[in-house]
Amino acid sequence: MSEAAAEKAELTYTRVFDAPRELVFRCLTEPEHLAHFWGPAGTHTPPDGIAADVRPGGVFEAVMVNDADGSQYTMHAVYVEVEPPERLVWTEPGSGVTTTSTFTDLGGSRTEVRIQQRNVPSAFRSPGAQSGFRSSLDRFAAYLGTL
Amino acid sequence: MPVTAERLDATFTALADPTRRAILAHLARGDATVNELAAPFAMTLPGISKHLKVLERCGLISRTRRAQFRPCHLEGDVLDEAMSWIEANRRIWRERFDRLDEHLRGIQQAGSPEGEGRIPGRDSDRIAGGERSTA
Repeated sequence: MSEAAAEKAELTYTRVFDAPRELVFRCLTEPEHLAHFWGPAGTHTPPDGIAADVRPGGVFEAVMVNDADGSQYTMHAVYVEVEPPERLVWTEPGSGVTTTSTFTDLGGSRTEVRIQQRNVPSAFRSPGAQSGFRSSLDRFAAYLGTL
Repeated sequence: MPVTAERLDATFTALADPTRRAILAHLARGDATVNELAAPFAMTLPGISKHLKVLERCGLISRTRRAQFRPCHLEGDVLDEAMSWIEANRRIWRERFDRLDEHLRGIQQAGSPEGEGRIPGRDSDRIAGGERSTA
C-alpha cells in the first residue's frame, strides 16, 4: 500500500484461493456459502439471517450471532457495483465504510481476492478531518465497519 | 495518560467482543445515547448498558454526568493506544479467508453436493458467465 493510500485510510487485504473465480465470487455473494465463513471468530451467521440481493442498490445484510451470549448484530450494506465474477462493491450506510472486492483469475484454477476498504468521504468530513487522530479514527472505523 | 500493559489488556478484552466493537463503530460517528446505541441490536437496554460499563471501565468511552441522557463519547487517546489492535483486527479478514479457503476445498472435493450441480469442479472451471480470464 502506498503512502498516499495509507493517508486516505484505505486498507487492503489480499488472498489467493485454489478455486475458480466463478466459484469464489459465488461464495461471497450467496447466503448458503457466506454462512460458512462470514462471521468473525466468536460468532456464527445462519444462512436464513443473510440477505444478498446482488445488484446495484440491492441489500446485503448478515445477522451475526454471538456464540457466547446469543446476542445478535446485523451488518447492513448496500451493493454499489456488481460485475460478476470480477468486482463487487458494497457500502455500509451506518459506518460509511465502502468495501471493494476484486477477483482476479490467476489461471490454473486459482483466484486472487483483494479487499479494499475505505470511508465514504462525507462520513468523516469535519473540522480536523486531516489530523492524525481523525486519520487513525478513520482506519479504526473502517475495520470496525466490517464487523 | 500513561499506557500500561494492564489497561491495554483491559482495552483489548473489551474489544474482543463483537457487540462492543460495533458500539465503538457507532460512537466513531459521534456521541450517542444508550437508546441510540441499542437500536441496531436485538438486545435489551440492560444488556447494552453492561457492554457500555466494560467500555467505560477501560476508558474507551466516557459518559457525561450532567446531561439527562448521559450520551456516550468515544475517547480518542485511549483509542489511539489501541491502534495496534488494528493489526489484530486484520485477523477478521484473515480468519474469514481461512474459513472460505476451507469451505472452497470442502465443496470442490465433495463434488458439489451443496450446490446441486451448480458449483463447477476444478475440471470445469471458467466456463460460466462468458467472462474470459484476465490477460
